[in-house]
Amino acid sequence: MYAAAVTFRTIDELDAALRGADYLPDRGLATALFLSLALEKPLLLEGEAGVGKTEAGKALAQALNARLIRLQCYEGLDVSHAVYEWNYSRQLLHIRAAQEGTVSEDELFGREFLIRRPLLEAIDTDERVVLLIDEVDRADEEFEAFLLEVLSDFQITIPELGTIRARRRPAVVLTSNRTRELHDALKRRTLFHWIGHPSLEREVEIVRLRVPGIPERLAQEAAAFVRGLRGLDLAKPPGVAETIDWAQALAALGREEIDAEVVEQTLGSVLKYREDIEAVRDDTLVGLVEEARATADRL
Amino acid sequence: MRGSAIVRHVVTFGRVLREVGIEVGPGRVVDAVRALGAVDLTRQEDVYFTLRQTLVSRHDELELFDRAFVAWFLRGPVAPLVRQKEQRRRTELLVSGSLTAEGDAAEPEPGDAPVELGASSHELLREKDFAEMTADEFERCRRLIAALAQTRPQRASRRRTPDPRGDRLDFRRLVRRSLRSGGDPVERTWRARKVVPRKLVVICDVSGSMDAYSRALLLFLHAVVGAGKGVEAFGLGTRLTRLTLDLATRDPEAALARATANVVDWGSGTRIGASLKEFNDLYGRRALSRGAVVVVVSDGWDRDDPVLLGREMAKLARAAYAVVWVNPLKGNPEYQPLAGGMRAALPFVDRFLPGHNLRSLEELAAVLAGIERRHAA
Repeated sequence: MYAAAVTFRTIDELDAALRGADYLPDRGLATALFLSLALEKPLLLEGEAGVGKTEAGKALAQALNARLIRLQCYEGLDVSHAVYEWNYSRQLLHIRAAQEGTVSEDELFGREFLIRRPLLEAIDTDERVVLLIDEVDRADEEFEAFLLEVLSDFQITIPELGTIRARRRPAVVLTSNRTRELHDALKRRTLFHWIGHPSLEREVEIVRLRVPGIPERLAQEAAAFVRGLRGLDLAKPPGVAETIDWAQALAALGREEIDAEVVEQTLGSVLKYREDIEAVRDDTLVGLVEEARATADRL
Repeated sequence: MRGSAIVRHVVTFGRVLREVGIEVGPGRVVDAVRALGAVDLTRQEDVYFTLRQTLVSRHDELELFDRAFVAWFLRGPVAPLVRQKEQRRRTELLVSGSLTAEGDAAEPEPGDAPVELGASSHELLREKDFAEMTADEFERCRRLIAALAQTRPQRASRRRTPDPRGDRLDFRRLVRRSLRSGGDPVERTWRARKVVPRKLVVICDVSGSMDAYSRALLLFLHAVVGAGKGVEAFGLGTRLTRLTLDLATRDPEAALARATANVVDWGSGTRIGASLKEFNDLYGRRALSRGAVVVVVSDGWDRDDPVLLGREMAKLARAAYAVVWVNPLKGNPEYQPLAGGMRAALPFVDRFLPGHNLRSLEELAAVLAGIERRHAA
């Protein structure tokens, strides 16, 4: 069993390590990650797109100095892509190369013919691992049931090889965009944390951390402007990821502040839908820019 | 706080949560106690998150949790917590009340009695408009409705199962069998895509004008939700509300009563466009409607500007695999979709069906089972 509780004795210690990994969690998220390590329970993160769910998993790996193994879920994801697969062409070649009748089935289904996919990789290792199961709501429910088994016992059974048990439990972070409600049984095995959009101050802090060298004023105005956008009725309100992208673009253009013209030119890195871009034109845009500048004045 | 005091506190708090309707199993309480042992109890914020993350597992329970936390640990003044048990009792009264009221109104006339007892009563029942049924007749429809709901739209899964008529080689078995022939794949084994139910989203108008029909359709929905996973149900009126969980756990009549109470402000009219917008914004954004068959059940009477409804229907149709509109008024042969809302919606509808009696529900079930994407590129 891994000694995570020893690595970070307090939430503050973990918080500091995450900051060291260029990730600024709020207290709630730091608590959630801390408890997940302390209780050795998987953590389920939910929240709007772009609030940094996936990033949280990556940052945890960095903070723990652990290897990150990521399983991206999608509809139809199956065992051969998530857990393991036999290397059929190698197996066939092996039979051919050997003398007829000398290859046994045991030999053929041995470890050297096994292709290890993320879940097996995370279980069958001596390394410290953070297993990030991304967008679990996209996988179908049969897979969820399978995942449930893996996450409760931390073991995987391969018919030809037997049961492989985790020698040290990986830290597990699951993310979901809530396209559907996950199964209760899975939820019972996880801690749950909802990530909201960050406060304005924190978002400024995040932008300054992720876009080194950005003028403070520009970071403030960009964060305030995006916050204004979130208050509008948009098809896809921008997340923190978009704020960072946009601030990067603005900084690359050598801007010290925002104005209506530059916002219009770069709006495509904040808003990803044509309807949304059209909804933020002319007066709305000018109004938002003024508001953002006024907000930045108060910071 | 001593260990046993913490346990007592958490157990009692778990009970408080259960009372407001948050499901807290014993496993969660154990987690909460263990977790509290790992954090600094003097920091209120940490205690709050620790309890929230261990005891709550759903986003829509966060608000209830917050209120319970304030009330219990901070002893703060809060709005009274709604006790679900009492609410349930209220809705039950409401439902049974409405049932009697309707039964009285549609008291069978002496001439109707032989028809109901006759051999062809089943046939007649199939054709009878839901709005004209007595409570008794409606009761008999329940089973028939439930049977209808077993058919679901299908899609091909990415997952494959062994199938001699499959279209992909099954390598695992092929390798095993090739052992006998020295590595030559003499006997071929195949796998085919499995067919699984397609996502189904039903958005049902529960406003006053739809009353008689939404009851029948909700029974239908209840059976559909019970028939398998991947079904989502919503009620629309002045607002939108998610009914999936109610339908999965409760009696459908109680779910309908709750939906009506939640969604309809009496006298303010139905806002179909606005409700669909809420759906698109909240659930469509999270790809709930992507690739799904979406069924809208409504008479199309929208208080708002039809332009909004048209725009939201366009959005919905883009994300969905197919859109079906069920309008009970269509059961009347003289009905024409002239209401502004209905006319605005129709261009984005793949199939337009009535839903006023059992026969039309059969038709709906058949359409759902075999639906194809009409607006596919």
